Amino acid sequence: MMHGNPSKCSKADDIWSMGRPGARRSLLLCGAGAIVGLIIAGFGLFTADGTRTSIVPAEDVALVNQVPILMSDYAAQLRALYDVSLSQATMRQKRQVLDDMIREELYVQRGVELGMQADTIEVRQALVGAVEAQAAADATMAVPDESALHAYYEKNRARYADEGQMALDDYVQPVSAAGRAAAAAADLRLSGTAPAVLARHGLRRSAIMTDGEEFIFAARLHLGERLFAVASRMKDGEVSEPVPLPDGIHILVMRHHIAPPPRPFAVVRDRVLQDFVTDQAKTLTAGNERFLRKRADISLQKGYE
Amino acid sequence: MPRRLFWPGTLLLLAAVALILLVLHAGRDRSLRNAVMQADPETVLNMPALAPATLARGQVVFAAHCVTCHGLAGKGVAAKGAPDLTDEDHLYGSGLVAEIEQIVLHGIRSGDARGWHLASMPAYGRAKPYAMEPIPPLRPQEIQDMAAYLRSFQGDWADKAAVERGKALYVGKAGCFDCHAQDGSGDSAVGAPNLVDGVWLYGDGSAATIADSIANGHAGSSPAFAKSLSAFDARAVSLYVASLGDASTRKTL
Repeated sequence: MMHGNPSKCSKADDIWSMGRPGARRSLLLCGAGAIVGLIIAGFGLFTADGTRTSIVPAEDVALVNQVPILMSDYAAQLRALYDVSLSQATMRQKRQVLDDMIREELYVQRGVELGMQADTIEVRQALVGAVEAQAAADATMAVPDESALHAYYEKNRARYADEGQMALDDYVQPVSAAGRAAAAAADLRLSGTAPAVLARHGLRRSAIMTDGEEFIFAARLHLGERLFAVASRMKDGEVSEPVPLPDGIHILVMRHHIAPPPRPFAVVRDRVLQDFVTDQAKTLTAGNERFLRKRADISLQKGYE
Repeated sequence: MPRRLFWPGTLLLLAAVALILLVLHAGRDRSLRNAVMQADPETVLNMPALAPATLARGQVVFAAHCVTCHGLAGKGVAAKGAPDLTDEDHLYGSGLVAEIEQIVLHGIRSGDARGWHLASMPAYGRAKPYAMEPIPPLRPQEIQDMAAYLRSFQGDWADKAAVERGKALYVGKAGCFDCHAQDGSGDSAVGAPNLVDGVWLYGDGSAATIADSIANGHAGSSPAFAKSLSAFDARAVSLYVASLGDASTRKTL
């Protein structure tokens, strides 16, 4: 049979004979390649995430001038207004919420067209906040590495210390007894704060620091800077040197003093994370601002350079 | 077919079959995604045609983005203030898939304006306990009293006088009732935890860890994934998280 039609067979053989150049073969392969390419490109074009066509993507409930209204936002709005889920909402509720969301989107778009950001303070503030958030997004939306958090904690240990506490008694002598104050302090060290000792030196307990143990910040407020400076150097059971102040001579007796103790990383991790992210966000926002200033054409009035 | 055509033809045929399978698979995947996104999120877990594939994808997303804080099994890590996602104690919202999805997308104190950031736990042992409004600080003894009051809900009445003083502070000066409710049951609208159910977000419920929380405050956070996850992945991981809880008590309204 082969011998019956030798020209046909040899012609087909010639086309696919790789050793010989063949215009027809090239054309066929080119065509096949083009078809495959078109199929892949078409599939990618019409199915890629973020592709906007006249078809409303499944994750959106509507497109308003190609701006999507997300299905998740729509469901959240239904929940907020009517406390129903998507399948429980009536058609009336669904339409109402969708109409409201479309209305809002239209007004936002119109507002941008009209340049409302130029003269509406609230819009300007919201835009500033939104751009700052956008600039900081890489920091705020990332999950930092644990080692980076540890390093940050080590660098800022003091920030994560406890407040510290102190309990002390503040005794006051009249200004007229200034000459006997040192002796009174020495007697307090020797004999303690028994009523007889206090009476012997005309000491009365002041009204400050009478609530017992206090956090350091509260002690500072109650004592005032001068007495606090003395108190902060005192140890448990120590009696201070007399401190002359306008209302009398003060002698402090420290009952209990806990300096701000460091808190372990595990206990403060959430605060470290927040501070770390905030610092990162500030760096990014500052960088963004530098970039905006650099590319902007800012002209200053004379005297304001 | 000429012999010389055999291999080129076979290769072309295999390529065509592979392409068709790829397109069919992608199309099937796409239709699944569309169906999940169009469905009421609260009903997807009860739809056998959608749930298995969606949960499988959700598990992958969870492993990539959530395990660092919530752990592989979603049990949470108290040291990180990351809540247990498998119990029925919901810090924000009531456990609805749509609520979980909003947290996935917009986070908690994440910097996303649409996230949850209404309130945080004041640090009563600091000079200025709360940045958002003036709240008076407490003294160390008052913090101990408050811890004693909260411990009393677990049956610890070791110091009845301290419990009474703590209760007076709770409903009075400290203003705890404002977020945690008069009965201590919390408020999931602001992320204020239930203080009486024995579930502790931070620490182990001991007097020391409760006092530490009161003195130093808390402001846990969760990242916003709106910019890094696709809408389908956000829903899939939300459904996966919802599936970690007890199905019999899952809320569907």
